[in-house]
Amino acid sequence: MAETGRLTAPARARRWVQAHPVTTLRIVIIVAVLLVWEGLARSGWLYRDVVPSWVAIGRALVVTLSDATFYWHLYTTFYEIGWAMVIGGVSGLAVGILLGGSKLMQRAYEPLLYYLGPCPKIIFFPVMIMWFGVGPGSKIAMGAISCFFPVALNVAGGMREIDKVLIRVGRSFRANTWQMVTKVYMPAMRHPIINGVRLGLGVCLIGTLLAETKLSNAGVGFLVIQSYTLFNMPHMYSLLIVLFVIAIGANALIGKLGGLDQIRRS
Amino acid sequence: MSAVAMPSERDAVPGAAEPILVVDRIVKRFDTPDGTLTAVDDVSLSIKPGEFFGVIGPSGCGKSTLFNVIGGLLDGYDGAVRVGGETVRGPHPAIGMIFQEESTFPWRSVIDNVAFPLEIAGMPKAERYARAGHFVSLVGLNGFERRFPAELSGGMRQRVSMARTLAAEPKIMLMDEPFASLDEQTRLLLGDKVLQIQQELKQTTLLITHNITEAVQLSDRIMVMTYRPGKVKRIVDIDLPRPRTSEIVSSEAFGRYVAQIWNDLREEATRGLLDDESRKLRAGGPS
Ligand SMILES: Nc1ncnc2c1ncn2[C@@H]1O[C@H](COP(=O)(O)OP(=O)(O)OP(=O)(O)O)[C@@H](O)[C@H]1O
Ligand SMILES: [Mg+2]
Repeated sequence: MAETGRLTAPARARRWVQAHPVTTLRIVIIVAVLLVWEGLARSGWLYRDVVPSWVAIGRALVVTLSDATFYWHLYTTFYEIGWAMVIGGVSGLAVGILLGGSKLMQRAYEPLLYYLGPCPKIIFFPVMIMWFGVGPGSKIAMGAISCFFPVALNVAGGMREIDKVLIRVGRSFRANTWQMVTKVYMPAMRHPIINGVRLGLGVCLIGTLLAETKLSNAGVGFLVIQSYTLFNMPHMYSLLIVLFVIAIGANALIGKLGGLDQIRRS
Repeated sequence: MSAVAMPSERDAVPGAAEPILVVDRIVKRFDTPDGTLTAVDDVSLSIKPGEFFGVIGPSGCGKSTLFNVIGGLLDGYDGAVRVGGETVRGPHPAIGMIFQEESTFPWRSVIDNVAFPLEIAGMPKAERYARAGHFVSLVGLNGFERRFPAELSGGMRQRVSMARTLAAEPKIMLMDEPFASLDEQTRLLLGDKVLQIQQELKQTTLLITHNITEAVQLSDRIMVMTYRPGKVKRIVDIDLPRPRTSEIVSSEAFGRYVAQIWNDLREEATRGLLDDESRKLRAGGPS
C-alpha cells in the first residue's frame, strides 16, 4: 500500500472506478441526464422554460423552500397521507381479518376485492368530492381507498397462512378472542401486514397526490398544477424535485418497515 | 350416538383414588374425499392423579386426534372427556398441552414464550417473569432467556414449549410426541427431565409416542393402539421401580416390557407400514 501515496490523481481515480463499478455507472447516468437537460435548456430548440436551466430550477427551489405557505401545503399533503394510511390501514386490517377468519366471508366478498383492487381509484374521485368536498377530506378518502385494498388482501391471505399449531397453542391456554387477535394472529401475520402496508403506502401516495392535482385547494399536488397553469416552469420543477424527495423518503420508510420484521418484539 | 354409555369397567384402576381424567368411549370420525375415516374408535381410559400414562401406536393410528379431543381442541365426536368428574367442552384449565409440531412463537423470546400463558391469565409483569424464569431454568435453558426460537436447536425449542406449558401449572399434562424430532441420547435425557419435573410437581401426565423405549422408560401404564381404526389394543402395567432414570433402559425387566409391547405393536405397525402415511414408523421399532 506504500505505493498508493505516489500515485498520480488520474491513476487514483481509475483505481476508485475499478473498485466501485456500480456507483460509477450511477454517477455516469445522472451526470449524463443533467448534461443533456442543460444542453436542451441552452439550445433554444424548445419553447422558453419548457426545459429550464438547472440554474433557474435551483433558484426556484430556494424560493420555494423559503416560502412559508409552501410548508403549509406540504403539511397538508402529509396530513392527508397520514390520515389516509390510518383509515385505509385499519379498515383494511379489520376486513382482512374478517375475510381470512371465515370461509363464508371469503367466498362471498374476496372476489369483489380482487376485482375492485386493480381498478383505478381515481374514478371514485368525483363521488369523493361530492361527499367530502374539495378540501383534504376527498384526498384522504382517495388515499384511504387506495391503501385499503392491498392491506385487506394481504391480511386475508396472511391469516390463512398462519401456522395452525400456534392457534391451537393460544386456544389451549384459553386465550379470549381479543387476546387471540393481538397476541397470536397479529404477530403471526406481521410479514403479510408489513407487506400490505408497504404496498398500501405506495398506492396511497399516488391516490392522494393524483387527487390533489385533479381538484383541490391545498397540498403540494395543488401547487404543482397551479404553477403549471401560471406557466412557472422552474417553480413547477422545483416542486417536482420536492415530491421526488418525498417519494424517496417514503421508499426509505418502507424499507425501514420491511426491516421491522427483523426487529425483535418484547 | 353412544354418548350416554357408562365408563367401561376394564379401565378402572383397582384400589386407586378417583380418576382425574376419564376418556369415555370416544369415537371421532373425519369426512375425507374418500369417505368417512374413523380416526379414534371407542377409546376409553381412566387415569388417576399423579399417574404417568403412555399411549403408543403406529403413525396415523389416531393418537394426535385423541390428544386434541382430550385437550378440547376438537369437537364433533361421540363419547365424553371428563376432568375431575366434569365434562370437558373446550380447553380445560386443568389441562396443559405440548404439541407434536414445532409450536414456539417465533416472534417471542424464550422468556416471553414461557410467560405466554401467564400473560393470558393476566398475571402482573414482574410476577410472570419471575415465574417464567423459574421454568426456563427447570428445563435447563438458563442464559437463553433473551434468545429467539430461530436461534435455538430443535431440542431447545421443544424444551421451551415444555416450559411454557409447565408455567401454566396444569394438573394434567398432555404431551404429543414431544421428543419425536430428537436424537436418541437427547430424547433419553429429556425424558429424565420430564420424569423429574413430573414427580416434583406431582402432575398427571399423558404421553403420546410411537417410541417404545420412551414409553416404557416413563410410563406407569401404556395403552397400545391399533392402526385404523384407532382402538385400544391392550393396556400394559409397567412395574418398574421409581424414581427411574434413563439408565433403566439397559435393565433386563425393561427389555422384557419392550419386547412385549413390540409384539403387540408389530401387527399394527406392519399394517401401518403398508400405508403411505407411516413414513415415521422407524421410530416405533425396538431400539
Ligand atoms: N382434520 C382431519 N381431517 C381428515 N383426516 C384427519 C384429520 N386429522 C387427522 N386425520 C386422519 O386421522 C388419522 C389419524 O391421524 P392422527 O394425526 O391422529 O395420527 P397420529 O397417530 O397422531 O400419527 P403420527 O404418529 O404420525 O402423529 C390419519 O389417518 C389422518 O389422516
Ligand atoms: Mg400425531
